Amino acid sequence: MIKHLLQGRPFGHPLHPILNHFPIALFVISLLFDMATLFGYGENALVLASFYTMILGVVMGVLASITGLADYLDIRADHPGKRNATLHMGLNLAMLVLYATNLNLRNGDLASTSTPILPFVLSLVGVGIIGVSGYLGGQLVYDEGVGVGRHLRDADAPPQTLKVLSSRAGPDGFVAVAEEGALPEGATLRVQVDTNVMAVARIEGKTYAFQEFCTHRFGPLSEGNFHGYEVQCPWHQSCFDVRTGKVTQGPAKLDLNVYESKVEGGKVLVRVPNDEQ
Amino acid sequence: MKDFLQGKWLKHPLHPIMVHIPTALWPASLLFDLLANARNDNALVQAAFYMALFGWVAALGAIPAGIADWIDIKREKPAWRLGVYHMVLNITATLLWGINLLVRWGDVSTASSVGALPLGLSIAGTLILFVSGYLGGRMVYHYGIGIARLSKGKWRRIAERGGARVPKKEESAG
Repeated sequence: MIKHLLQGRPFGHPLHPILNHFPIALFVISLLFDMATLFGYGENALVLASFYTMILGVVMGVLASITGLADYLDIRADHPGKRNATLHMGLNLAMLVLYATNLNLRNGDLASTSTPILPFVLSLVGVGIIGVSGYLGGQLVYDEGVGVGRHLRDADAPPQTLKVLSSRAGPDGFVAVAEEGALPEGATLRVQVDTNVMAVARIEGKTYAFQEFCTHRFGPLSEGNFHGYEVQCPWHQSCFDVRTGKVTQGPAKLDLNVYESKVEGGKVLVRVPNDEQ
Repeated sequence: MKDFLQGKWLKHPLHPIMVHIPTALWPASLLFDLLANARNDNALVQAAFYMALFGWVAALGAIPAGIADWIDIKREKPAWRLGVYHMVLNITATLLWGINLLVRWGDVSTASSVGALPLGLSIAGTLILFVSGYLGGRMVYHYGIGIARLSKGKWRRIAERGGARVPKKEESAG
């Protein structure tokens, strides 16, 4: 599948964070070349060096955009990092347009011995944008864990959190969270009953519900990797038995909360957790 | 000192920011060498030299920041060993690019092409970098090194609000 290829899953490493090294570093050094020419160093050679590095930066930036979009598509709509991801994308696209304009302006004046002022100012703005945008992109990885451990899992991440209220529960305490068809074998749901967030997995036909957050650094188990009845956290590879919640591999030390769930009448249902848990 | 090198002040690990510079500029420098030799153009020779130089300066900064990240990995973890390979390869690449810069230093402002020795050093330095960069990426995207290190307080609050069982604060420090 083309999306999975652009996400780098076959390589065990996302592609976007590889490609984005190039525009970041090349746009910065292009600006340094401009500054050198404005201080009287390097003459025409560095005017050209600035131009050539910018061309390569734009080409790699376009490739980085395509792979970045593939990553963006798998961030669920209510993810706390989604807004920053959207902002990151908007800034990067604006930056590429700015640099394309910049190249166009420079193209007419490549014989000069110092970079003209307008393209230089555009480069300053461009590097400012890349600083902000790169920082946001880094936070998406290091704070939000986007793309981490994703290649270990075959299925896509749940596209959104399914929110239900316990007041809709039947007399047996179970509340319907989704149609049965939304949870095929090997897939997961991310479900919120009132404030309780849980992952629901389907293994050998049966459903298992457990707390969404790993007990190590609270990674998203609905995006985890499954081996038999074990779920592996995508962030630091802690494993838990989904039937009991017990830790089967660290770094996590504390067991998960597990919840009752079932399939009945074509619906996936979970039992409303009691507050003592 | 370790906190500074790990990027706590910036709320973002420092090593992966700094590595952008050599990771992109060293292969780009090699590309510009090849273009320089194809077109006999001093501007490209100069561009290749300064890219290698800027990459090298940033690599010198990336090394201590990387070591600061690595010393927090527990020895029994697979990522520890990967970190050793990554470090040794990067230090080797940095040495090669250092020699490369010395070789180029004399005639960078006049040469219109790049000789076999500096070109060979760039090819070797770039290949080592590719292997090492991939290992570094695996440390992040496969083993989760640095993930939620600075944001675990935020995630703890989100998990608590979501009704999760969470460890006491001192237990989740590791």
